[in-house]
Amino acid sequence: MEGVAMKLPSFPNAISIGHRSFSRVRCSSSLSVCSAAAASSATISTDSESVSLGHRVRKDFRILHQEVNGSKLVYLDSAATSQKPAAVLDALQNYYEFYNSNVHRGIHYLSAKATDEFELARKKVARFINASDSREIVFTRNATEAINLVAYSWGLSNLKPGDEVILTVAEHHSCIVPWQIVSQKTGAVLKFVTLNEDEVPDINKLRELISPKTKLVAVHHVSNVLASSLPIEEIVVWAHDVGAKVLVDACQSVPHMVVDVQKLNADFLVASSHKMCGPTGIGFLYGKSDLLHSMPPFLGGGEMISDVFLDHSTYAEPPSRFEAGTPAIGEAIALGAAVDYLSGIGMPKIHEYEVEIGKYLYEKLSSLPDVRIYGPRPSESVHRGALCSFNVEGLHPTDLATFLDQQHGVAIRSGHHCAQPLHRYLGVNASARASLYFYNTKDDVDAFIVALADTVSFFNSFK
Amino acid sequence: MAAAMSSSCCASSLRLIPFKRTLFSSIHYPSKTLTLRPLKPSEIPSFRRTIITFQKISTGIVPPPSASSSPSSSGDLQPIEELPPKLQEIVKLFQSVQEPKAKYEQLLFYGKNLKPLDSQFKTRENKVEGCVSQVWVRAFFDEQRNVVYEADSDSLLTKGLAALLVQGLSGRPVPEILRISPDFALLLGLQQSLTPSRSNGFLNMLKLMQKKALHLEVKGVEDSTSESSFVSTPEIKDEASVPEVDSESKPGLVEDLGTEKIDDSDSGSNGVALGSRGMRIRERLEKELNPVELEVEDVSYQHAGHAAVRGSAGDDGETHFNLRIVSDAFQGKSLVKRHRLIYDLLQEELKSGLHALSIVAKTPAEV
Repeated sequence: MEGVAMKLPSFPNAISIGHRSFSRVRCSSSLSVCSAAAASSATISTDSESVSLGHRVRKDFRILHQEVNGSKLVYLDSAATSQKPAAVLDALQNYYEFYNSNVHRGIHYLSAKATDEFELARKKVARFINASDSREIVFTRNATEAINLVAYSWGLSNLKPGDEVILTVAEHHSCIVPWQIVSQKTGAVLKFVTLNEDEVPDINKLRELISPKTKLVAVHHVSNVLASSLPIEEIVVWAHDVGAKVLVDACQSVPHMVVDVQKLNADFLVASSHKMCGPTGIGFLYGKSDLLHSMPPFLGGGEMISDVFLDHSTYAEPPSRFEAGTPAIGEAIALGAAVDYLSGIGMPKIHEYEVEIGKYLYEKLSSLPDVRIYGPRPSESVHRGALCSFNVEGLHPTDLATFLDQQHGVAIRSGHHCAQPLHRYLGVNASARASLYFYNTKDDVDAFIVALADTVSFFNSFK
Repeated sequence: MAAAMSSSCCASSLRLIPFKRTLFSSIHYPSKTLTLRPLKPSEIPSFRRTIITFQKISTGIVPPPSASSSPSSSGDLQPIEELPPKLQEIVKLFQSVQEPKAKYEQLLFYGKNLKPLDSQFKTRENKVEGCVSQVWVRAFFDEQRNVVYEADSDSLLTKGLAALLVQGLSGRPVPEILRISPDFALLLGLQQSLTPSRSNGFLNMLKLMQKKALHLEVKGVEDSTSESSFVSTPEIKDEASVPEVDSESKPGLVEDLGTEKIDDSDSGSNGVALGSRGMRIRERLEKELNPVELEVEDVSYQHAGHAAVRGSAGDDGETHFNLRIVSDAFQGKSLVKRHRLIYDLLQEELKSGLHALSIVAKTPAEV
């Protein structure tokens, strides 16, 4: 299928990554195909400034163009998982269709190509977060596995009875439970930082808790419930002063803003591919080189060994040491494609756009009566992530989410968002959460608010 | 953990060998079997020695085939005539209301009229496990041994569904309730998923209601007037019959059950003072195991109705105990070995009337 290649000087970046419209035509050349997308391209060619980023990129996300339960889908659950652009899906398909082969082993052509692409993906991720060496990137199944890797590999061999690990009450379960398990085994003690009156983890308390006994500080960069962010650079300085390491859970930051691990100077950082337009089944751990070198293996098997005898084995250098077995090759390559896609738009641009629509969401939501949004109020100094966890007085979040879905096609999340301790601290059982990504628009927010108002009035009429 | 088990494996089949009459027939769901085999007299174990075998076998839920295929193929669904009459009425009512929004209104209307559940019944035992909303269900017998239900929820939609179930199932006999398959939910047209998952409040509610009905029936054999939850204490198998081979896989189940049941009895017991046997048990265990923690709880009263217990040679009816021991002596021992160790220490008691022990045995590191 052929189309017209449109030269659009204002957005060379956006088009050149081989955005597809609705057909999965494989373009080995650099010709951009914009056939059915003519309508949207026409919009692009007029006034570039008036069309928001969200509107521009929507055509890349076919999944967003559907109806659910008789209404247009409004997807506001990207904090749970993001949607994938056609480029990422193509990369995955491409891999399986043209060069699927096991990596690091074979000599033949396909295997060499697969290995090259796999390692290229690793380099892309390293560059994306400004790691100094791609060998500091360990591919895992997801961020949860990455944290477990640090807990079991670094934690078990470094934590002694009485050592302290500092967390916050707002951590995701994946950054609480592994530490509980490991502290039980090692005798280390977990300390939790509570929230201050702005509903943000209390930085002063965190600073006070850091002592010579502290061996690790494991905190989120951006909270998936409160939308607040922590000053990682400062935390790292305080932690390093006492010889403690810092692990950053960057699942809600890497997809949404520039994250520079060298600037942060974190010892460990974890993120998930599926929250940043990549496929599920892959995530990564960033670890400083000398740190990774000092850590024993996590899972044992092929790939992570050097020599294997019957009674003992020697292990490979990192990152291979921590990548046992055949990796999710296609997924890693598709993650690389996701990194390319995001870089093509530019993370600063994405972040700027999200600050704008995030603010819009917050304002609109807080203008509804009886709505309680958790986390800090946005201000000049406080930038919230583009999500709002909230409760409506007297109504259960499940009722809201169900009705929004069934009657309006609006997809939000209800529950504890894998942060039970936080909800307990806030004194609620569950909350609803609407989260945005750069493919959402103000129209989405408007549709959500209208639907929410309708939902609330429906339920209120029964009370 | 036991709670997680009940949420993901709600169709637990309980294999219990009663000593009196057998009253269960085989009850079949489409592709899901809750089987209670009536016992032949020769199979009833003698109760002179010990012990009732109690195994909680979790069967994975297999959704009825109709759930995966199109819901309109009502040929595969349980015929509506098999449902209790009130439930049939409710289904027909919902079918007559076409518009989805009106269905929800109808549902909420049911919920509004649901009799609120007294907070004393909002216990862990009565809670439908699941993370999205809180639902409690209570069940008891009326004079005709029909099951009566009461329920509540903090979510209006779930309350509506609970009200549906309460209205539809209350006042019916146990076998009829157990025969109900969740298929009928499809007929309601609420786009209710039948996928067993923790967020499927409806499915989990129905399962809990059926489980409670079953418990009432079983418990009714022992004690027909009480209305509380199932309190039978799991007892460890007689030594001779403990299979060593798969001992590693079973202990997990037994231990979990032990923990769960101890929670139940904690709520019931009020620190019954230990009699002489209880004291002897305590002394022996303290002396031999040097425990960090030791709890000996006399729960014999829960089994006071046993024909086997009555008139046994036990001192003052001290026949059933819950033990919780935390000791280094268990280091490196499998669960079965731990239990055997304890058994060995209490041989004298077992010979002289101690019927059963429910044991939680941990090392200090495991606590």
